[in-house]
Amino acid sequence: MRSRIIASLATLAVAGLALTGCSSGGGDSDASDSGPVTLSFWSWAPGTKQIVDTWNKSHPDIQVKYTDAGGGNDSSAKLLTASRAGNAPDLSAVEYTTLPAMIVADVPLDITRYVKDVKKNYTKGTWDQTTFDGHVYAVPQDVGPMAFPYRWDKLKEYNIPVPTTWEDFDKAGVAIHNADPKVSLASLPADQFGFYGGVATQAGGSWWSIKDGKWTVGIADEASLKVADFFEKMSKDGAITTEPLLTPEWNKQVNDGTMLSWPSALWAPGVIQGVAPETDGKWELGPLPQWTAGDTAVAYQGGSGVIVTKDSKHPKQAAEFAKWYNASEEGATLLLNVGNVYPAAISGQEAAKSSKPPALMPQQTDYYSVAAKIASNTIPVTWGPDFNVAQTTFTDALNKAIQNGTPWRNAFIATQNAVVKDMKQSGYKVTNQ
Amino acid sequence: MPLVTSPESGATTSAVPRRSTPVRVRGRRHHVHLAPYLFVAPAVVLFVVFMLVPIVYAIWLSFQTYHLVGGGILGHREQVFAGFENYGSVLADPNLIAGFGRLGIYGLIAVPLNLGLALLFALLLDAPASRAKRFSRTAIFVPYAVPGVVAALLWGFMYLPGTSPFSYITQSLGWGDIPFLENPGIFGSLANIAIWGVVGFNMIIIYTSLRGIPSEMYEAARLDGANELQIALRVKIPLATPALVLTAIFSLIGTLQVYGEPTTLKPMTNVISQSWVPLMMIYRDAFLTDNLPSAAALSVVLALGTVVVSAIVLLLANRRNSGGVA
Repeated sequence: MRSRIIASLATLAVAGLALTGCSSGGGDSDASDSGPVTLSFWSWAPGTKQIVDTWNKSHPDIQVKYTDAGGGNDSSAKLLTASRAGNAPDLSAVEYTTLPAMIVADVPLDITRYVKDVKKNYTKGTWDQTTFDGHVYAVPQDVGPMAFPYRWDKLKEYNIPVPTTWEDFDKAGVAIHNADPKVSLASLPADQFGFYGGVATQAGGSWWSIKDGKWTVGIADEASLKVADFFEKMSKDGAITTEPLLTPEWNKQVNDGTMLSWPSALWAPGVIQGVAPETDGKWELGPLPQWTAGDTAVAYQGGSGVIVTKDSKHPKQAAEFAKWYNASEEGATLLLNVGNVYPAAISGQEAAKSSKPPALMPQQTDYYSVAAKIASNTIPVTWGPDFNVAQTTFTDALNKAIQNGTPWRNAFIATQNAVVKDMKQSGYKVTNQ
Repeated sequence: MPLVTSPESGATTSAVPRRSTPVRVRGRRHHVHLAPYLFVAPAVVLFVVFMLVPIVYAIWLSFQTYHLVGGGILGHREQVFAGFENYGSVLADPNLIAGFGRLGIYGLIAVPLNLGLALLFALLLDAPASRAKRFSRTAIFVPYAVPGVVAALLWGFMYLPGTSPFSYITQSLGWGDIPFLENPGIFGSLANIAIWGVVGFNMIIIYTSLRGIPSEMYEAARLDGANELQIALRVKIPLATPALVLTAIFSLIGTLQVYGEPTTLKPMTNVISQSWVPLMMIYRDAFLTDNLPSAAALSVVLALGTVVVSAIVLLLANRRNSGGVA
């Protein structure tokens, strides 16, 4: 009796697997290359729908159906799940940070043969963000060289010069805090893993690196620990706060002029404008503060590319759309003007030079030449296959350190240990002990 | 069985049974038995497809792990058998114990308040002197109709210092913000959302049970000189015990499965970690760090824990209530 139950349970389990297997056929069953096809596309960038509509009008044979999959983190979880179930969209935007994890999970298709003709439209540094072992997995869409949007009117009011080094940034933060404790120069909470990774890279740290097929994790390297100490001191002095970003609370502070900057990247003006359109004209964009006065190099924070998934039945057409959307002059210009992002393609960055500044800073006529200057000197960043493990560990550990008043560097060390352990467990060759 | 055979044997007076009889019996039995199966088939199919298969799949998955294959710097992951490895690492994770500890604190606040308020409201509604019963009942029940995430977002706005009407009042009085989203206030804030949402539902269960008590009981109690408070304490509450046990189990299971409220409030505060409660750890493993087998193992552990806790509560309730209405 018992064996019969087990046998039937096993049959059910197999049936269940078969069911999930079947569902992968959902959607378009037409696998031929001729005739009109419909492609599904997930993204979250503002203005995407308008750009997709433009494509659909001129390409009756390759219709694209756009779905807003909601933000980088949410959308990557959704994409992973959909891919497991065998019904991922044909195309999806993926952040550079999570692309390695997606490749390991077998989500994106190797599109090298479809997209090699647009390689020349990108700088080497940009193209490298989506190329691993010589295989291309995504067409770069936008890049996020780190930058510093700030409230010029308020800094002027407090008579504080725009900080160009982190030391000046610290002084400015303390001065503002002393002038009015309700006002903050910036909030840099623990969930800004990409920010802390970026400034650590700027300081000479290297969170992940590969040499001869072996990984080295440096989240707790000397440069990064110094960064940890520096930001810990700023937080304790009140130069920065660590309240979460883009909450109703933070949005309110940005709106009423008690949050004066957001050290982040070139995509920030669009985001700030989205939550505080009434502050248009009061912002300006400058280079990110430096660790050493006179340096100009910055790391990347954020940025994304478009992948074609392994589930796509029309990879050629999907790659065609991805190329037009991101690498063509028309697409890149639309990304710039409609999507309000800094395009990854050279043509888009060229077009930016003659564009009007973003709506957040219409008075800053040199916006795009400042942006171009920032983008011209970037430090390449490698993100590991377990970026998400690092991010969740880092956020939880740093939040704990902030609340308990323990050293921030402990959070960096805890993340380092968790990442090394995870990578070894997964089977990667890691040089760390 | 006797239903089928008795007319046959009754009709057969001969001592020698005819050969065809068993065949006919089998045929009829077949017909009679098919109908109930047909009736339960939809329920069974739905249960199997949406409950049994996923459960079996989750258990199977909890014994798997991912193994890196293929060359290159990244490689791909392949699923392989792992034995009890996932259970070992899940149970050894200090975050899990801490998560259950936070659940405990939350439960100590949420469960007694939830039951106490539900019982209080039900008794007040049932009291002969109360007015506007239908309106009050609906008003208390309405939050149950608000989806959990919507409720959590709504309360989140009322907790954040910049948007909170409560903090606005205390700020105006010069007392500063109310630390709704800090430790230890966060426990009360989360419990409040859950209680606000579900107390009406529990109240209806208890109220229904109170309405089922025959009015002779009250008459007898009144004849004995009991006042309304004494009736409530000595007659109503003991007789409503089964409903109280039921709502207690609902609340306990609800506590073990706390997920929506802390997840919705997480972006608004730094004190809620990604491993704040066990279900958030399951989400983290399944969808953030892409470790489905670990999530499956943790789910099995949590499910077994829920069964054990519910069984203990039922056992205690039955022992105290032995011979009672239950």
